[in-house]
Amino acid sequence: MDVVRFVERHEVPKKFVLVVGLPDVGLVGVVAASHLVSSLRLKEIASIESELFPPIIVLHEGVPKSPARVFSSPEIVVIVSETAIPANAIHPLADSIVNWASQKGARLVVSVGGMAVQNRQDIEKPKVFAAVSDKSLSKSIRDAAEVLGEGYIVGPYGLILKRCAEMGLPAITLLTQAFYNYPDPEAAAAAVLALNKILDLNVDVSELLHKGEEIRLRAKDVMKRTQAEMAKMNKSQEYDIPPLYG
Amino acid sequence: MEKAKRKAVFDVVDEYLRRAETMAERMFASGWNEVASSIEPLSNIFVGATEVVVTIDLPYCDSESVKLKIIDEDTLEVYAKTRQMIKLDDFGIKHRRGEFSCFHTVIHVPVPVNEEGISSKLKRGVLEVRLPRAI
Repeated sequence: MDVVRFVERHEVPKKFVLVVGLPDVGLVGVVAASHLVSSLRLKEIASIESELFPPIIVLHEGVPKSPARVFSSPEIVVIVSETAIPANAIHPLADSIVNWASQKGARLVVSVGGMAVQNRQDIEKPKVFAAVSDKSLSKSIRDAAEVLGEGYIVGPYGLILKRCAEMGLPAITLLTQAFYNYPDPEAAAAAVLALNKILDLNVDVSELLHKGEEIRLRAKDVMKRTQAEMAKMNKSQEYDIPPLYG
Repeated sequence: MEKAKRKAVFDVVDEYLRRAETMAERMFASGWNEVASSIEPLSNIFVGATEVVVTIDLPYCDSESVKLKIIDEDTLEVYAKTRQMIKLDDFGIKHRRGEFSCFHTVIHVPVPVNEEGISSKLKRGVLEVRLPRAI
């Protein structure tokens, strides 16, 4: 049995774009992906199960759900996790996501995360950066994000990007300036606007901004547990400067 | 003299245990104190050469409602009243009853700081407290 398993309950669309929103810096990915799910009225099609995940189910409208689930429309598939991913599950989860996306015929994988900045309080409009699995993808990003040249990416998004590059599956990692350990709906809104441009979507972010305080409070506990896992995976290494060129 | 020395040792142990308990509580508790109607906010500490910067996430708060207190030279207490009562029911939680009217936290700063010269600002819902280090 695979360490991480996708349990499908409905058909997966063909040639889809996969958006991944896992708990990370500022919970940018989780908040942005959850907003896509509600705004685009995506249907739940699968869950992600693993003995490496904490023994948790989440109740929604009285129904037990896995905290890590997959939602879709005919064109877009979104993975979102409502619980922190344990550091020891990061590798198998990243592998499993890329393998599943490849087997199901995904045409592009876009991971959405945060990039911690110490002066976040002074930033009106968080900037979005992108790392790509192949340089040819830089064109498709257009002016939605600034493409990164050098630096470290720590956590599942780095592994997903690398594995996609190895498998020839086009992938983009969007990293938005955000608070490190505070849920950041403004950063999530900036990430959604970047997704709008890259994927030709038209998702309104006004509700995300309007409900910012509520989101920050609701997401407080998941952020706290995510911070503990980020510490285990040496997330702070993203501040480091790589010693080699090329 | 002997008695005083022994007491000092117990004081140190007590202090150590108190801090260990506080750390364990902060690490594992959810931070929603239904009895005190308070919420433990998320916070962060940056230690600089001349000052310590503490940030605290305070949604639903205005700068006028924030109260700061230096308890010891290495302990900061923060209290902030929320603009509105926050109810667990509003988040769809039915199995627990709870109404919260403030954020409250006690933060242990890793180096001694001076109460004089303390400054703070609330921006983007995050409180930033600057504490000069005690020389």
